[in-house]
Amino acid sequence: MTWTAGIDIGSTYTKAVIARDGEIAGRALEPTGFRLAAVAEAALARALEQAGIGRGDVEYTVATGFGRHQVDLSDAQVTDLTAAARGANAIFPGTRTILDVGGQTMKAIRIGAGAKVESFRLNDKCAAGTGAFLEKTARYMGFGTAEIGPLVATSKDSVPISGVCAVFAESEVINQLSQGAAPADIMHGAIVSLVGRAVQLMKRVRMEPEFTLVGGILRFERMIDVVRQELSSEVNVAPGDLVQFTAAYGAALLGLSRLRKLRGQSVATEAAA
Amino acid sequence: MNPIRVFPEWRDRPLDQVLGACRELVENANFPTVKRWRAAGGKVVGHFQVYFPEEIVHAAGVLPFRVRGAPIEPLQSDSRFGSYLCSILKTSLELALSGRVQLDMFVTHPICDAARNLAGVWGRNFPYRCQILYLPQNATSPSAPAYLRGEYERLLHDVEAVAGHAISDDDLRASIAVFNENRALLRELYALKRRAPWQVAMDEAYVLVAIGGMLPREEHNELLRWVLPELERRTARKLDRIRVVFEGGFCEQPPLDLIRAIGRSCYVVDDDLLIGLRWILEDVAASGDPLADLAHAYLHASSYSPVQHDARKPKEEMLLERIRGAGATAAIVTAAKMCEPGLEEQVGYVRALDAAGIPYFVSEFEESMTSFDHLEIQLETFVENLMFD
Repeated sequence: MTWTAGIDIGSTYTKAVIARDGEIAGRALEPTGFRLAAVAEAALARALEQAGIGRGDVEYTVATGFGRHQVDLSDAQVTDLTAAARGANAIFPGTRTILDVGGQTMKAIRIGAGAKVESFRLNDKCAAGTGAFLEKTARYMGFGTAEIGPLVATSKDSVPISGVCAVFAESEVINQLSQGAAPADIMHGAIVSLVGRAVQLMKRVRMEPEFTLVGGILRFERMIDVVRQELSSEVNVAPGDLVQFTAAYGAALLGLSRLRKLRGQSVATEAAA
Repeated sequence: MNPIRVFPEWRDRPLDQVLGACRELVENANFPTVKRWRAAGGKVVGHFQVYFPEEIVHAAGVLPFRVRGAPIEPLQSDSRFGSYLCSILKTSLELALSGRVQLDMFVTHPICDAARNLAGVWGRNFPYRCQILYLPQNATSPSAPAYLRGEYERLLHDVEAVAGHAISDDDLRASIAVFNENRALLRELYALKRRAPWQVAMDEAYVLVAIGGMLPREEHNELLRWVLPELERRTARKLDRIRVVFEGGFCEQPPLDLIRAIGRSCYVVDDDLLIGLRWILEDVAASGDPLADLAHAYLHASSYSPVQHDARKPKEEMLLERIRGAGATAAIVTAAKMCEPGLEEQVGYVRALDAAGIPYFVSEFEESMTSFDHLEIQLETFVENLMFD
């Protein structure tokens, strides 16, 4: 039995996954905040507790996410691209293109055999292409992040939001509200705008089906619907909150893969000796 | 030996603070150590990349200052060069035009057309001597040793004129001994990079080498003598990373932040960064004719770079040897933007690496670049594809 851990230190949430022979045995999520090392430790500790094992049982730990270089509890660090690719491929083996929308980043990734990253594009350093855009839009209307899902579920139509800039969106939102638009429809419009940018990124990596969506923002059902419509295609989404843990799970799987490779090398070296 | 010390910031401090002080010095485009040297009454000979026999300047009691550009805006020098030329030419001249560094003599080399012309452009702007040191184009010619000795002697007389006194053979031998120690210490640093790369980060090793070009070499030796055992002793965590050789930093230098970003993705176990400071691979003999000994070392005991043509050192083979010698499994093959020698050599390097089945990552850089995110993530993805295949 081999235990590995994956820790995804994202800009908004930190996720930890404990895997037993590649199967998820424990997972935990913590708001990232600014004490990255402490939050990574906390998420890992909770995931270990859920899996019913101790730190010493984990043979290999991989860190990913924007804070991967700031924590000192991993054997290796990998980009979110590689981690998301491996996680998405494990959950949906037919995956060829991944859309990963996080709190402060958006990534389109095309993968090949063995879940290797063949092409990728990141959004510009701009909140307009990220979950922060939705959060700000919600906040301008007096709603919290947790209310985005229920709010947009009541939308009957979408109000056009340019989505060029998350800061300028405030005046656009106020303008729409003053003209009587429903907050749910404005939120829906923000999602349509965000997805429009996402599809542009996906085109630039020469997307191919199957499409798999990952990242915290994809937990909103309406978001998934809009992506499906824009792509005119079915999309894969991991069930429940697993969509948020895809990269952390991928990191744990990469740890297992690396361990097996190192063990193979070690066996080969001993055999040669 | 030279009694002037210009870098007190490193003394009596813990290792991390010493490395921080070195980093600050390397990033300081006002070159305070050169200013302090001048303030103490010393003279300065600036020499452009790649290789320069600094012993000759040192023997005169003059500071050899390695002119390697800087991450600054070429506000004045831009008007002296075409836009199609590399950045290091412009920023090197800018250092002098803006008064950041004051020299008593400047020497460049025919390493490329642009560098050769630099002496002429420089000389039109300053009253001091500006010249080209013509290192031999054909290192294997039977007349190369005598020719190079002659060039060194010509240089020596010019340096004597700057210093205001003659340089004796004993002066030269004493300087060769100082530089032999320096080269041995740098070899020790690189041996540590190869043996235990987690003990010294890529950017740390880089600044420890780079400050040698802006300090009296005795002071650099004192620093390295103290730092090396400290690096060996420090507690650093060994990470599971690919071992890589970095190639392409022989002349224009990548920004320090880029070097740090690369070092976060993999263990760079050998490189050609500032290769001129490590050009001579063994101790130079210090008993015979010192100028002939220096010439011999340049011709027969030296490293390789795209700007030296020597049929005994096919560069592709040398790169493969560097990779094998360092136990690396991949290479980063870079070149400065607009660097003709570097970009041309990439073709040969890539073909040799393909033939040898060694994975590689190709990129370009510029000393003034400030955004590394995309390059870093590309490099990380390359490394991860190797680690997790």
